[in-house]
Amino acid sequence: MGFGDLKSAAGLRVLNDFLADKSYIEGYVPSQADIAVFEAIAAPPPADLFHALRWYNHIKSYEKQKASLPGVKKPLAKYGPADVEDTTGAATDSKDDDDIDLFGSDDEEESEEAKKLREERLAQYESKKSKKPAVVAKSSLLLDVKPWDDETDMAKLEECVRSIQADGLVWGSSKLVPVGYGIKKLQIQCVVEDDKVGTDMLEERITAFEDYVQSMDVAAFNKI
Amino acid sequence: GVEELALLEQLLGLPRGNKYGVQGERKVPVLQTNNGPGLKGLMTIAAHLVKQAKKEQLLGSTAEEKAVVQQWLEYRVTRVDGSSSKEDTRVILQDLNVHLEDKVYLAGNIFTLADILMYYGLHRVMVELTVQEKEKYLNVSRWFNHIQHYPGVRQHLSNVVFIKNRLYTNAH
Repeated sequence: MGFGDLKSAAGLRVLNDFLADKSYIEGYVPSQADIAVFEAIAAPPPADLFHALRWYNHIKSYEKQKASLPGVKKPLAKYGPADVEDTTGAATDSKDDDDIDLFGSDDEEESEEAKKLREERLAQYESKKSKKPAVVAKSSLLLDVKPWDDETDMAKLEECVRSIQADGLVWGSSKLVPVGYGIKKLQIQCVVEDDKVGTDMLEERITAFEDYVQSMDVAAFNKI
Repeated sequence: GVEELALLEQLLGLPRGNKYGVQGERKVPVLQTNNGPGLKGLMTIAAHLVKQAKKEQLLGSTAEEKAVVQQWLEYRVTRVDGSSSKEDTRVILQDLNVHLEDKVYLAGNIFTLADILMYYGLHRVMVELTVQEKEKYLNVSRWFNHIQHYPGVRQHLSNVVFIKNRLYTNAH
């Protein structure tokens, strides 16, 4: 995670790209995540990085409330796209543990926004935990992807699943397995690098195709 | 029309008690009041509900914000409602995409009634967009995804899915 060196043009470009389809660094409300990144940036981003500039001006408007925004500031390396490392020179708290106290930190009463943010970060924490093996290893997974009914277009479903790209993920062969009542599930193989791709992330991405996918299970998981 | 006024009441936390009707071929919503012929018009009624709920900030705080909110409310009724051709839709999405390039919300930095009613008005359009179109109008997609996650707005409307990795432009 992280944006590279946020004091450099390259880092700002990563930030810009990241924010193209998001209003905030994390979730759907301004939070300490936005403040952490905001404070790491030396000056307003240039006008050609207009997503970053939009975000910068927006967060600036929350300057007076910054202490009361929800969440906890984490080291910069915890934010941003999954496959970039944080190299910002003035990185603070880089010795922090990954284990953060998710439950006790806010004294203020929990608003709906804070609750949602907490749940989102809990999911992130879990998926990060599941990606922490001792050895850089690969695994072969067999995924069962189930459609809504027998009229779901399985070719389209497979296309959607294969369109999921990630660093450390390679799709393998697939086949359709009948499960009864004319419904077929898609069984598809993939090879993942354990510390780059987790089953939670795969599940999230696959079930995001709500139109086609009813659910996904890991049918087999073998270390290579 | 009338259904979204019910959604708006829910979002504003108002007790359900208002009676609505429709009038004329264009099905203009009407709010029956105790005295008089009733309030007519989606925007008029929506603004009235906001004031009833004492959430005037949803109409904008500064004069400029108020004007921008009105601009988009007017846009909703004159351009979005009743637009059905692909060309009309394309123009609307393009307008919005340009406007939202440097803003998080339609009025800039604050969430207003303009965001709510444009969301409801555009829902049927967004539901039908292809993945490629959602990426083409990236700012609209970002804004729409944000508004549909705002507490209380979406209610029973379907969640429009936006894929996180961009397929058609270079991903990082």
